[in-house]
Amino acid sequence: MAQLMKKNKINLYKKIDAYIKGNLSEPEIAELWIAFAKHPYLLDELEIEIGLRDILKKEILVRNRSPKKKFSLSESLIWHYAAAAMLFVIFSMQFFQQPSKSRLANFTLSSINKDQLETADIVRSTIIDTFAADSILNLGFMEYINDNYTGAFLLYNELLTNYNHEPYASKAYLNKGIFHYNNSNYDLAIVDFSASLERSPDDTMIKEKAFWFLANAYAHIDDLQNARNNAYEVYKMNGIFRKASFLLLQKLNYDLGSSDTETSTD
Amino acid sequence: MDYVKFVKGIQENNETLINEYIPIITGVLIKFLKVRHGADHHDAEDVVQNTIINVTEKIRKDKLNHPDTIIFYFFTTAKNEYFKFLKQKKENTDPDSVEKHGKEGDQLHSLLIQEKQKILEKCMEGLTPESKDYITYWFDHPRDDASVVAEHFGISVNNAWTKKHRIIKILKNCVEKKWHN
Repeated sequence: MAQLMKKNKINLYKKIDAYIKGNLSEPEIAELWIAFAKHPYLLDELEIEIGLRDILKKEILVRNRSPKKKFSLSESLIWHYAAAAMLFVIFSMQFFQQPSKSRLANFTLSSINKDQLETADIVRSTIIDTFAADSILNLGFMEYINDNYTGAFLLYNELLTNYNHEPYASKAYLNKGIFHYNNSNYDLAIVDFSASLERSPDDTMIKEKAFWFLANAYAHIDDLQNARNNAYEVYKMNGIFRKASFLLLQKLNYDLGSSDTETSTD
Repeated sequence: MDYVKFVKGIQENNETLINEYIPIITGVLIKFLKVRHGADHHDAEDVVQNTIINVTEKIRKDKLNHPDTIIFYFFTTAKNEYFKFLKQKKENTDPDSVEKHGKEGDQLHSLLIQEKQKILEKCMEGLTPESKDYITYWFDHPRDDASVVAEHFGISVNNAWTKKHRIIKILKNCVEKKWHN
């Protein structure tokens, strides 16, 4: 009898777990809610489990985002200075170099860093609204940073199948575009970055990223005119990619035979 | 939760019993509307009040007595009352909201309250390192079967479920204690 009760309880735990993961059919969900009504403590436990997942997911995200090795302050400062000096040298060389003598590849991204991936907005109001779509977006990020790119790609597709609306679609498309870009599939990347751009009229950050990655993708397939148009959009936005877009724009203007950065694309 | 007892309590007008059961049913129905139909907490509270009046009336008239029928009737009435409520405030609401709520799937995270989350975080600090490792491993592998967790910790699959549940229960008790203090 006790064994049977234990078995029934474990079956209920399994169903709750499947419910949270979105693996229950509609009749199974209805049946589970009958169980919740009969045993309301299960609902409290469900609440704890969802809260726990949320907290641990954030912890895992932070853990995966932070560098694996911890540096001491002095070591960290040395590295910062060294990196800043290196960046200054590279930037100065690029800035004062004649664009014509450099290869276009020197001005474009060979690959897009993982930290450019879009994740869910965690807290929106007094109530935490981490919906299933947010979870998929974050799971995709986790798969990506753990180098399971295909897993991440499939999750972004799943997100677009089930939640093809804002604020998710623009992020999912942007992340898919990054996946294609890093696999050198620039045509596919252009399709996804354009879709992201179309869906994010109000989000300046996603918009800027989409324009910048589009400029780079077009440069990779030698569509210089489109590369320049997009680089110019980035430049006008005066955001984090302004300097990089300025350098690319100069190079593209030279290659295309224009000279005035501010007006040539208007 | 004994619904046979609840029916008896309503029919015999047993106030002690009614006062014991109604808050529990109210809590379940509010969560049902929030999770299954995306209701706002305050809207859900209003709707559930009407639902309970409606259902207890039916029980009094001896039209409902089987426990599963009562539960089913509670849920159906709550859902219908909620849609009625949405229609009434239609001029201020997105006309497609009823449809939308049905399509977006269950919103389990609407169960969370920020203050409770803070308490939960505190309670997690009180877990033994072994329990914290266990539960972290479980949620760190969301796509894996429980057998993977069981194998990792060298326990049976049933024990893996029981162990996870035990930790959740510890946290639930801790949160409830701190929440009510």
